[in-house]
Amino acid sequence: HSGLSKDLLSLLNDADDYNVIIQVGENRNMKEFRAHSVILRARSPYFKSAFSADWISKKNNMITINKPNIAPTVFEMVLKYIYTGELDLTKQSGEDILSLLVSSDELLIEELFNHVQDYLI
Amino acid sequence: MSSRKQPKGKIRPPKKPNSADAQFNDNWDRLAQAIREIHKKNASILSFEELYRNAYNMVLHKNGDKLYNGVREVITQHLEEVAVSQVVPAFPLSGASSSQTNPNGAGGANFLKVLKTVWEDHTTCMLMIRDILMYMDRVYAKTANVPLVYDLGLDLFRDTIVRSQNYPIQNHLLEVLLQQIKLERENEIIDRTNVKASIDMLLELTDASTKDTVYATDFENKFLETSSEYYRVEGQMLVGEYDAPEYMKKVDKRLNEEEQRVRHYLSQTTEPKIRNIVEEELISKHLKTVIEMENSGLIPMLRNEKMDDLGRMYKLFGRVVKGHDEMKSAISDYIRELGKAINETVTSNTTAEGGNAASGDKQTGATVAVRWVQEVLDLKDKFDKVQNLALSNDKAFQTSFNEAFEYFINKNSKSPEFISLFIDDNLKKGLKGKTEEEVDSVLDKTITLFRFIGEKDVFERYYKQHLAKRLLLGRSVSDDAERGMIGKLKVECGYQFTTKLEGMFNDMRISSDTMTDFKEYLDKSVLEKPKLDLSVTVLTSTFWPMNLSASPRCNLPPELTKACGTFQNFYLGRHSGRRLTWQSNMGTADIRGSFKARKHELNVSTYQMVILLMFNDKQDGESLSYEQIKGESDIPEADLKRNLQSLACAKYKILVKEPKGKEINPGDQFNFNNDFTAPLQRIKIQTVASKVESEGERKETREKVEEARKHQTEAAIVRIMKDRKTMEHNLLIAEVVKQLQSRFMPNPALIKKRIEALIEREYLERATGDRRVYNYLA
Repeated sequence: HSGLSKDLLSLLNDADDYNVIIQVGENRNMKEFRAHSVILRARSPYFKSAFSADWISKKNNMITINKPNIAPTVFEMVLKYIYTGELDLTKQSGEDILSLLVSSDELLIEELFNHVQDYLI
Repeated sequence: MSSRKQPKGKIRPPKKPNSADAQFNDNWDRLAQAIREIHKKNASILSFEELYRNAYNMVLHKNGDKLYNGVREVITQHLEEVAVSQVVPAFPLSGASSSQTNPNGAGGANFLKVLKTVWEDHTTCMLMIRDILMYMDRVYAKTANVPLVYDLGLDLFRDTIVRSQNYPIQNHLLEVLLQQIKLERENEIIDRTNVKASIDMLLELTDASTKDTVYATDFENKFLETSSEYYRVEGQMLVGEYDAPEYMKKVDKRLNEEEQRVRHYLSQTTEPKIRNIVEEELISKHLKTVIEMENSGLIPMLRNEKMDDLGRMYKLFGRVVKGHDEMKSAISDYIRELGKAINETVTSNTTAEGGNAASGDKQTGATVAVRWVQEVLDLKDKFDKVQNLALSNDKAFQTSFNEAFEYFINKNSKSPEFISLFIDDNLKKGLKGKTEEEVDSVLDKTITLFRFIGEKDVFERYYKQHLAKRLLLGRSVSDDAERGMIGKLKVECGYQFTTKLEGMFNDMRISSDTMTDFKEYLDKSVLEKPKLDLSVTVLTSTFWPMNLSASPRCNLPPELTKACGTFQNFYLGRHSGRRLTWQSNMGTADIRGSFKARKHELNVSTYQMVILLMFNDKQDGESLSYEQIKGESDIPEADLKRNLQSLACAKYKILVKEPKGKEINPGDQFNFNNDFTAPLQRIKIQTVASKVESEGERKETREKVEEARKHQTEAAIVRIMKDRKTMEHNLLIAEVVKQLQSRFMPNPALIKKRIEALIEREYLERATGDRRVYNYLA
């Protein structure tokens, strides 16, 4: 599936048709990510609920949510994994890897959680 | 290591317990507030991310149980409030027994409507609460083995609203639901959406102890009980007020309504149960009453051929266990009754006819037979039609009808003779108006009656007699039709049944060839040619119904005796070792009679010819007495009387009898009727061709049949013993019965007698050790 992962990664990187803006982090350490709600919903129960009609507020068809308790560097990894199902952890710092473990648990991305855990053990 | 174990490093338990408690309280306060806002439908001011994070943190910090219990409390409080502020005020006005004051069930409908709103609000809120507590569901509820929060919500709704301990909500709910259904049964229009909403709600709630739905535990039984009672009353009312067809239509409608009801707003699991109740109360309990309804029940429907009603009854009654049995037995009884009536009209006719059997009323006998068969066929047609149009060709019904036909047909001991006569009538008169196809179809139907006959050997005997007369008197429609009929019999009874009948045809064919040869022989011969044309049919005695030992005597005129002699020489010259016996009772003759007015050609029987020729020597006006004719001709008395009747008492009076009258008595005087006139030149003096037998003849036939049965029984015994060598008494009897029952039903006493006769003649012996066992002696 390497072709699929590659193509989906380009979808994330050149997200010109995005419909979700996620403001990650707090204060100075904040970054906006652009993504596609369909993909996030499909990959994470957390996003599935977060983007359900009961909870979202849309402006010009754009969904904006905050995720202050996750660092942008970590969220970037989360997003990459959500889109491609692949994540190379060897280049990451130990601290980020632990944060990734915690975040994947919070966002209920079980697959990623196991991936990180396997890496740690 | 559990996958959920808190990872080391960044996230640690907060150091100060106080600040942890504070954190918890803060988180929980926000969550509780948020849930309240959700209940107030103010969710749009809330942040999913924040609430989720709050709950997440609480669970993460081992406060999952506190969170869970807190949520339970908030929801319970809310539902209590809903009960007081919304549900209780919506109770129908006069409480549980409100049907009188509330004839349209408006209060009830409103109550259901409120409940519907309450339920919908609750489920909507629970979905949102589930969203924000998803982490609790996934991490806490699983390990603590408690229901997921949505299910918790359902349980709370069940206990706080539906089965509230504080308010009689449950009573009202059940009461209103049942009342709504009752109103609908009484043709009121109800708002099905509200009822359906409540039913769906009950279906979604689960009873904790039975794990069944609250619908099943709280509602269904009550529904079934009231339905039972409702239809019990309705059933009694309906049978009293409506006739059978109307009753069935009502029941049909009810069944349909209940089915629709289930489909629209009850659970499918209730469908068979409510159907059973309607079937039990409206069908099973009134089966007999409806079947036996005067002027409209099953028998009147049959009588008036109400196929739609019959079809409806068949379908409707087929739903219950005894339904079809009751119908079958009622119809069978009716068939037997009708059959008995047919038998009775015939018996009364034949006894009347038997009384003046000697009066020369020749047609009546055959007519009675034809009419009997025709009536039975009509009856058969009628029930075939019923079977076809109303009973879906149900095999079980067919079997029971067949049994009924078999029963009454065999009640008439003359049925084998009648059926044979009926066939005779059709094969003889077939050309008069009926096409070959029509005759064929009538004969096909007749075969179905033939199947019902128990004594097929008796039928065979009569059939042979009637066929013989048709063949010898040239009365048959056509060879094809005759052979067609024999083909049908062969299919029914097999080859051995029809061999002799086929032999009769063979004799006819061979005789025709023989006569051609005879003519050639005469042409070439130097002998004096006979003064008359002689046509002889040579019959193989075993094929034809004749009795050689009692061959009919008759003094033939010399001319004829001479011609017979010539033929005899010719024939025996070709076939040595055969014996010819003249069957003068079976022949016919064409003679020319000179009357005052004109000459006529008379086609008469051999006996009639013999009688008429006696008058050749007499002067005009000179008479012969009965005794003279009898003495001179030597014709057997019964035959003589019958033939004299044909000549002197029937349509063409060639002879004049003194004194006048229909009966021939000793002392009667006969004169040649010189004044005889008739429009046609050629006259056929009707001979007694086929008619129902007189009692005497019947007795004789019966004896012959019994005699034949003895032989057949012995043959069967020998056949079986030859094969088995040794056999126990009862087994042998059973086997013999099995072999013979296609022809007749042998009784064990008869078989036993035949076994003894065979032992006497040393075909069998009793086994030395066991007297109930026989050995075959080769």
